[in-house]
Amino acid sequence: MSEPAIEIRNVAKRYAAHVAVKDLSLVVPRGTVYGLLGPNGAGKTTTIRMILDIIEPDIGTISVLGSAHRDRAIQDRVGYLPEERGLYKKMQVNRVLKFLGELKGLRGREADARIGDWMERLGLRTAEKDWGEAKVDELSRGMQQKVQFIGALLHDPELVILDEPFSGLDPVNAQALKDTVVELKRRGKTVIFSTHLMDNAERLCDAVCIIAHGEKVLDGAVSAVKAAHGERSIALALDGAATPAVQAILADRSMVADVDDQNLFYELELAPGADPSALLRRLVDAGAPIRRFERVQPSLHSIFLERVGATGVEEGMSGHG
Amino acid sequence: MARLWAVIKREYLERVRTKWFIISTLFAPFLLGLLTIVPIWLIGKTAAQSDITHIAILDASGTGVGRRVRLALGGGSLASDTSRTQLVVLDTTQLAAAESAFTHMVMKKETRGYLVLGPHVLDDTVARYAGRNGASLADVGRIQSAVRQGILQARLERAGLNAERVMSLTAAKQVELSAEQIGDKGREGGGIVKFLFSFSIAFLLYMSIVLYGQNVLRGVLEEKQTRVAEVVVSSVSTDTLLAGKVLGVGAVGITQQILWVITSIAVIRARDPIMRALHIPQVSFTMPSISLPVLGLLFVFFVLGFMLYAAIFASVGAMVNSDTEAQQAQQPFMMLLVATAILIQPVLVNPASSLAVAASIVPFSSPVIMPLRLSVSSVPWWEVALAIAVAAVTIAIFIWIASRIYRTGLLMYGKRPTLREVARWVRRSA
Repeated sequence: MSEPAIEIRNVAKRYAAHVAVKDLSLVVPRGTVYGLLGPNGAGKTTTIRMILDIIEPDIGTISVLGSAHRDRAIQDRVGYLPEERGLYKKMQVNRVLKFLGELKGLRGREADARIGDWMERLGLRTAEKDWGEAKVDELSRGMQQKVQFIGALLHDPELVILDEPFSGLDPVNAQALKDTVVELKRRGKTVIFSTHLMDNAERLCDAVCIIAHGEKVLDGAVSAVKAAHGERSIALALDGAATPAVQAILADRSMVADVDDQNLFYELELAPGADPSALLRRLVDAGAPIRRFERVQPSLHSIFLERVGATGVEEGMSGHG
Repeated sequence: MARLWAVIKREYLERVRTKWFIISTLFAPFLLGLLTIVPIWLIGKTAAQSDITHIAILDASGTGVGRRVRLALGGGSLASDTSRTQLVVLDTTQLAAAESAFTHMVMKKETRGYLVLGPHVLDDTVARYAGRNGASLADVGRIQSAVRQGILQARLERAGLNAERVMSLTAAKQVELSAEQIGDKGREGGGIVKFLFSFSIAFLLYMSIVLYGQNVLRGVLEEKQTRVAEVVVSSVSTDTLLAGKVLGVGAVGITQQILWVITSIAVIRARDPIMRALHIPQVSFTMPSISLPVLGLLFVFFVLGFMLYAAIFASVGAMVNSDTEAQQAQQPFMMLLVATAILIQPVLVNPASSLAVAASIVPFSSPVIMPLRLSVSSVPWWEVALAIAVAAVTIAIFIWIASRIYRTGLLMYGKRPTLREVARWVRRSA
């Protein structure tokens, strides 16, 4: 592959009251799905806005698709879905989309044809109802999100940046979004999205960067990140609730260093020197209704908690999506 | 350029498509039609009314002048209908009693008022009127001219002219005085009409600047509130967005004014046929003409005024988060505009005063006051040039400031910034 999709070097951004990003460097390879992970207020949105030249970094350099990010021509090759969604309320949907396309240099029939395709694909134009003729504020919130999503992809960008794309999406639309991301990757596009939902990131991303307090905690390919955190994790699933005997075993710090209790599913971190077979034997002896017992790489979720917790995040903003 | 064009196009088309644009565009010619037709129609109406004849004349002069006044009130000719005017010929000694009796009648609305012609009315020319319409200048004026006519007739007859001759000489209709303005380039049409016309121009300019300036503010605020600004500025620079917005909204304003000019000309053309159709008597009426260079200057000053206030209002829009905040923050700038509106009348009355000259050069009022002066009097060319230059420089400064405030403020949500913070946005050029 040629030069990376995005290369950020030693970038910092300070606001009057606080430092949003300090000395951040990262590289996003082309053709990957890249997750920018971190708790709220970590500096994800600031980083994204700097990549898009909406705000200027105080220091550092950013290059996008091989050019300096200030180059206006680059912006036509980038699609952006901001965290704060919004469209012109009183405007007709088709006209909003056409306007967003024109801002990216897309015009005329080509724009109309693509708008039609997307509206049909996302179910906004059906035989009985064409929402493209309606005004934006006549649409439900979910539909408006779809329209905004179309606006970000209409000009078929090489690089797609989605800021918290899953927030506010119902499961059906979240699935449609995931499908679209996978398809974009298949077509050789680069997708970057920020999220604090680790499960989504784990399933979708080739590579991730975890940031907290405006600093990079770790980055790299998801597989490498996990491998670096060793195979000291056990995935344990039970049929039914854990009995007191089982709970006692899980609480035994000589066997289990840490438990992420998710009710019927547990992610265990083995204590140093503990033998997983011995743990399994004790659980069987205690009569635990085991459905799954597997040595796994740690989930991004637990890595996130471990690493970001270690750097001292006040609020554990991680979650499941 | 293509991006700028896309922004201008959106701003323009979305506004021109609204109902409000259509209504306000039709409003001006409608108002003009109303102003040029209705007053004349009303004059015709009131002339036909016999209100001022519905009074009593208490004639204590002993000369029969009361009869002549009654005739004059009714229209002046021998054929006039005088039946509604009650003539009471009486002695000086009875006058006081009669007056109090008629005062009661007026109070009970049995008659509108009474006119007292005293014993020496032919010599000292003192008459009194009291009535419900005693405060109406128009009514009193007409009664006064009837009295004058009656007394004149009586005097002429006393001097030896025969009655018929007196009637024919004095029964002439009221003399109308039409006034006209003369400027450096010659006659400029009717004074009063010109006055109203100039006032309308200044007022329309003022209204347009206020309306379209506010429009820019609302547009900026909408983009901020709906968060659509972020998508847009990921594709175009904030400077392009600001320029596109100001130019797009300004183009709407100019479109509206061109439509106003065209429809107004059409209304004036159609005026005579309409008046004929409504059976309104023709009144000679010279439409004040406005020369092409002055019309051009009007547009120039509209553009200058709009640009200045658009830059100001765009900055305000970028600073605030809600309509309430916007109301507060724009207050000082609205005061500048209101002060300008207050200046319209004194400048109209005395367009060469030093106040008028100053107001037509200060950039915050010049876009309204200079066109006003141009339309009522002639203004030295260098004053016009100076006003344009001062406005242009001020606009450049304000647009520079606005682009900086806009750049930072557009993506700032939450607390309204203090003036100090705004000053920092302006200083920190990014």
